[in-house]
Amino acid sequence: MFKLSPEGIEFVKKEMVRYETKLSAVIPCLYRVQDENEGWISPECVAYLSRLMDLGESEIYEVLTFYTMFNQKPVKPLHVQVCCNVSCAMQGSRKILEELKKQNNSNVTLSAVECLGSCDTAPVLQINREPYMEKVSLEQITKTLQERTSS
Amino acid sequence: MKKMIKCTINNYPVEVEEGTTIIQAFKKLEQEIAHYCWHPGLSIAGVCRLCMVEIEGNNKLQIACNTVVQDGMVITNQSQKVKDTVRWGLEFHLINHPLDCPICDQAGECVLQEQYMKFGAYQPLMSEDKVKKRKVVDLGSKIVLDTERCILCARCTRFTDEISKTKELGIFNRGDRSEIGIFKNKPLENDYALNTVDICPVGALTSKKFRFQQRVWYLKKAPSVCTGCSTGCNIDVYYNEEGLWRIRPRHNSSINQYWMCDKGRETFKHVNPSGRLKSSFRHTAEQTEKMTTFQALQTLKLDSKKIGLVLTGSYTCEEYDAFLDFFQLHSIYHWKNNPKNFEDYDNFLIRGDKNPNTKGLLESINKRQLKLEDCTQLEQNISHLDLLIVCAPENHKLYPCLEEKINLFLKSKELVWISPHSHTLLQKPINTVWTIPSKTYFEKTGTFINHHGTRQKIKAVASIVDSARSLEEIIHILKTGQTDLTQIASIRDKMKTNYFMEQKGSL
Ligand code: SF4
Ligand code: SF4
Ligand code: FES
Ligand code: FES
Repeated sequence: MFKLSPEGIEFVKKEMVRYETKLSAVIPCLYRVQDENEGWISPECVAYLSRLMDLGESEIYEVLTFYTMFNQKPVKPLHVQVCCNVSCAMQGSRKILEELKKQNNSNVTLSAVECLGSCDTAPVLQINREPYMEKVSLEQITKTLQERTSS
Repeated sequence: MKKMIKCTINNYPVEVEEGTTIIQAFKKLEQEIAHYCWHPGLSIAGVCRLCMVEIEGNNKLQIACNTVVQDGMVITNQSQKVKDTVRWGLEFHLINHPLDCPICDQAGECVLQEQYMKFGAYQPLMSEDKVKKRKVVDLGSKIVLDTERCILCARCTRFTDEISKTKELGIFNRGDRSEIGIFKNKPLENDYALNTVDICPVGALTSKKFRFQQRVWYLKKAPSVCTGCSTGCNIDVYYNEEGLWRIRPRHNSSINQYWMCDKGRETFKHVNPSGRLKSSFRHTAEQTEKMTTFQALQTLKLDSKKIGLVLTGSYTCEEYDAFLDFFQLHSIYHWKNNPKNFEDYDNFLIRGDKNPNTKGLLESINKRQLKLEDCTQLEQNISHLDLLIVCAPENHKLYPCLEEKINLFLKSKELVWISPHSHTLLQKPINTVWTIPSKTYFEKTGTFINHHGTRQKIKAVASIVDSARSLEEIIHILKTGQTDLTQIASIRDKMKTNYFMEQKGSL
């Protein structure tokens, strides 16, 4: 059974009173759960959080499924999130994603995500919660992933 | 009193209360306006973008559901600009809609279809393929979801958030993958769930029980009052020559608003011909005699018998008055569906008193200052009675104690059972039992008084079982010895010709 750490519970309690409605606290709380559950949010986690925050499961699930930064499945150590929204797609990001898929790196989880809010430096991707890689090329990201998987 | 302000809608001047939204003003004027997501009983969502209006002096079109009328506003939805915008809005809704109207249960009462007839582009402009989504998604025991047909108006989710407060439904994912759904194994099972089927403007939410049963344009509808409990929600009953098919809520701002409970929607089955008691019978240990109600009442021989009377809250005020005036007893036995939870209330609509007119029964009794006794007292007195008359519940399903009580009543030397339905226990008695068919709410005219004391009239819609008699009619036969009820003006006016005959000519 998933349970937050005492500090995690403390964090959720604080977030819940921080905004006008506790619905606004769902995003930070989901982040916290994801961090404490090895990088993803299981249905069990949703049920747990709904009890903790006294919200409907569907209310939390709506947020979870809307945002691509929450993972609904376990992820490998390197989670590469390639923006595939308009600006990045026009700059070839979908191509990059296709090519990365072919590389079949067993330490990498690939996701197509929605606009990362950095359209001016498209194409953009993000590894885990690290700073963005901007104006990225296939060669660059391939090299980075090779280096990091061998180390 | 709120301040009144003036505005002009489609060239008609109108006065509305301050704070009224434009769409409410349109409704008040009975001017047509396209809309999907707005519903008078829910909060404003403003997501379908169909209720566009042009306001003089304002370059941009506005949505009528979320714009408040200002004094002197000149508003129209007849301009070419508005019409074009609505046409494009509709086209947008149809990008991924499957257009499977021929197999869709909503066809005929679908708002998307209705708007399409007015604003349709008729030649689809999309070259992209439609997004395929889940069809026939099981949401629980009552409702099926078709996510392709959904236009994401969020009426259903607002219902489970704001009205039932059960929060089962949500909109998951985003963009063209957005769909309505439930969280994993939390089905949509609340007591009011089927209201979402009513308010869904398209065929995305359909009722498991009703779907594929009937095409809605073949059904007639009649206004009535729900007999499922003492709240007395206002309803429309949908029927055809085969019988009743469904019940939906009818708006009444002081009783049920736009809603009703799911159990209440089931209270049409007992009206239908199958299973109804279709003539009177006299059962004894040795034999069963079939007879007309007239004959049955003749064989009762009421004179000089010691009579006990059991009443339930299923009948109209007029029926109670007729009965009590005729029998002139000092005390009446009140049979309740379940004395333990009779006073229950779920703080919304559902009450533990599963009768439409308990208040009316009590009123008739109090007017005459009669003594009110319950079934435990009857148990003590029953051996002293010659004849027990039971005006049984109209809908046996709502009386869990039915069999137990019938066994009690059977202890009487003679028993008269008046109800739309008989029961197997009554058919092999030790003593003598008469069963007499009575009318259901669908077949009689009269008054119900609900839990709050509101008097509501019901009207006979059609006769389902020709031989059934209301309590008033039974008393009339007893009083006059006449069977021809059409001789009595007060009853004649309340009678309806048989719906079957009305349709097909007399047999
Ligand atoms: S299922 Fe029906 S009511 Fe719910 S959002 Fe879709 S169209 Fe609206
Ligand atoms: S709350 Fe009572 S009156 Fe209303 S629909 Fe349900 S059973 Fe009928
Ligand atoms: S579209 Fe990729 S960052 Fe905005
Ligand atoms: S009715 Fe106004 S936006 Fe839907």
